[in-house]
Amino acid sequence: MNNIFRKTGQWFTEVGQVWAQELRLSFHDIGIMLFFFALPLFYPVTYTLIYNPEVPTDIPVAVVDNCRSAKSRELARMIDATSSVEVIGYASSMTEARQWMAEKACYGILEIPHDYSKRIGRGEQTVVPFYSDMSLLLRYRSFAGALTDVQLATGAQIRSELISSAGLVASGMSGTPVDNQAFFLGDTEQGFASFVIPGIVILILQQSLVLGVTMLAGTAADRRRRNRGIDPLEVKSSVSASLIGKALCYIAIYIPMSIYVLHFIPMMFSLPHIGDALDYFTFILPMIIASVFFGITVSAIVKEREMSLMVVVFTSVIFLFLSGLTWPRYAMSETWQWIGNLIPAVWGVEGFIRINSTGASLAQNSTPYIALWILSAIYFVTAWIVVAMQRRSSHRQVLSKTTA
Amino acid sequence: MRSSVLKNIIVRELHRLASRRVYLWAMIIVPIGVALFFLSLMDEGLPLKVPTAVVDLDNSSTSRNLVRNLNAQELTDITMNLSSYHEAIDKVQSGEIFGFFYIPRQFERDAVAGKTPTITYYSNMTYFVPGTLAFKGFKTMAVTASGAVAETKLVNAGISDDTAGTLLQPVVIDIHPVGNPWTNYSYYLSNSFVPAALELMIFLVTVFSICHEIKSGSSTDWLARADGSVIVALVGKLLPQTMIFTVTGLGIDALFFGFNHFPMNGSWPAMIAAMILFVIACQSFATFICCVLPNLRFALSICSLTGILAFSIAGFSFPVEQMYGAVGIFSYILPVRYYFLIYIDQALNGVSLYYSRFYFIALLLFPLGCIPVMWNLKRALRHPVYLP
Repeated sequence: MNNIFRKTGQWFTEVGQVWAQELRLSFHDIGIMLFFFALPLFYPVTYTLIYNPEVPTDIPVAVVDNCRSAKSRELARMIDATSSVEVIGYASSMTEARQWMAEKACYGILEIPHDYSKRIGRGEQTVVPFYSDMSLLLRYRSFAGALTDVQLATGAQIRSELISSAGLVASGMSGTPVDNQAFFLGDTEQGFASFVIPGIVILILQQSLVLGVTMLAGTAADRRRRNRGIDPLEVKSSVSASLIGKALCYIAIYIPMSIYVLHFIPMMFSLPHIGDALDYFTFILPMIIASVFFGITVSAIVKEREMSLMVVVFTSVIFLFLSGLTWPRYAMSETWQWIGNLIPAVWGVEGFIRINSTGASLAQNSTPYIALWILSAIYFVTAWIVVAMQRRSSHRQVLSKTTA
Repeated sequence: MRSSVLKNIIVRELHRLASRRVYLWAMIIVPIGVALFFLSLMDEGLPLKVPTAVVDLDNSSTSRNLVRNLNAQELTDITMNLSSYHEAIDKVQSGEIFGFFYIPRQFERDAVAGKTPTITYYSNMTYFVPGTLAFKGFKTMAVTASGAVAETKLVNAGISDDTAGTLLQPVVIDIHPVGNPWTNYSYYLSNSFVPAALELMIFLVTVFSICHEIKSGSSTDWLARADGSVIVALVGKLLPQTMIFTVTGLGIDALFFGFNHFPMNGSWPAMIAAMILFVIACQSFATFICCVLPNLRFALSICSLTGILAFSIAGFSFPVEQMYGAVGIFSYILPVRYYFLIYIDQALNGVSLYYSRFYFIALLLFPLGCIPVMWNLKRALRHPVYLP
């Protein structure tokens, strides 16, 4: 009985020692400080500054007016009046307009046909082609939104003129019989920063953590290589005490970081932020834990300090896409969905966006929340295996060196 | 004499490249793997059939017809019929649907009686693409519904069918998406994100191969074999990498424009030239960082940070000219920005090479940027000090 108490006590002492040593190593290493502190502190700000203009406005467009009537000029004026589009000028021909587009002076061409006003007067439908540059889908999307509105407004105006000129003044005939109204949830202004930042900050949390953890592991591997298989800075402890001690160290660092990234960043930049603080902090805890053990697992292939960058950095792009932020998860193949299921940030992005931007509760996010705890458990086991195997191999290395 | 020195360095570098697995991984497997990932992930082109819901409180023949038409569209997939707004919001919050279409009580009666009922629709814009597609589908349906009622009324008032049809939509603005009429998402994203991933890997490999010589202390040997000329040393080291990366880059181009028939409306030679210059420009950028900060960990960190920021700041999704001026200007220090602009001109839009002249010149300028700072690298190579 006494023995059990003594062993438990010793285990806790080991955890404490590992925790203190890991904290010391992190704070004495400028490279680790860069990942653990500078990255979560400055990257969200940088990203928000890039996307903060939110919506493209006054995208330059050229008009080729082959009709040159009051009606055609009015159409151009109405398009110019939308917030998305700015008419930069009238080109004399399509050739000239295309040249402007090739020079990137404009990103769209409106070609008003020569019989535009005539057809309207006759009560015939007119088709006005608009040529959109497709280098960025955001521009196309802004054009489509603005032009649809103009089309509906112009249509209503012409309709009422035609109907009254035909002598049909019956009420309700000229306007639309059914109104429609669109509401945008989560990102009510349809802004780009509001859409992308809540997801990106979660990825920053995971990736900075994984970079730091793998770099610490790589640095330890460097030390072992220099010291014939022994890391002089390693605390003597059981594998589980070492894992828990390290995890507690990283969690201690990432709690203030999470508060900054998840609460203050949206607040500072007026991004969507309607979630309950208790909900998203409760939610993010298992993501941090899962990321820590995920990082330790990945460090199995990081045999050198600087190798962490070669291995981890490019995965940010893959994880961003697996999270479904740009390409929704329902449209992915089953394989990619399952690979995504193994990444903590994929669940993190999903759950945090729902809580933060659409005001969902933790209960409504039970699936990602439970998934993150399961991932924590899985990666704890894999991390345990990685550390145990690495200890055995360094032990063997020491033995072979001493016998030789 | 000089050529044999150069050959010596090249052979030395080839041995180094073959001796570590990380080079195979970072120069070939990752870039090609990322390209295949994008191709496989977005092979449908557009994530159609967005899961959405309908709240039909009217439940009349008109409203049911509306729901049927909504479901028949390719944009939306009505996965549930819900009975209240609250239920629908709950489903949005738990992520089961990306939007819903709300038909009010007594919709049919009000519409016929000229009381102008309002159809409302909600799209979850926290996911831009499905949110936009759902919105588009809803809006089309709402406008069509309005049109159908209006047409009936006009015909009842004695206007002929044809005229009534015209009256509903007297003006149609027909948008032609030039170069990508399918609005295919993969064409657009793969062509920007994969070159940016290639840029990132070129940055990392260049820095790793140069600064690792300092870490391991072999830089004195490297410089000595180059007769003490840092330019010969760098050219000899980087040339084999240029070859490998160019082959990788062209392999990606072949995957895109060849096997997957991405729009290629311009000239192949221009795109090939752009790829070669792009690889050299990326190497030069990384070499510049090595010259200024000849420390493996530091230079790798800087290159990782800029390489990852490139995905955002090079203006692949949000236009550079719409960014704050002080932010947008940084896109022009990145080689991938020029490569992307050349791709738009030469592959997507197929305009004359003349319009891309400045982008080619910009790529050519990158190597020159290294020359003024090379002395600092030479100093570090001569006296290698490893700082973790």
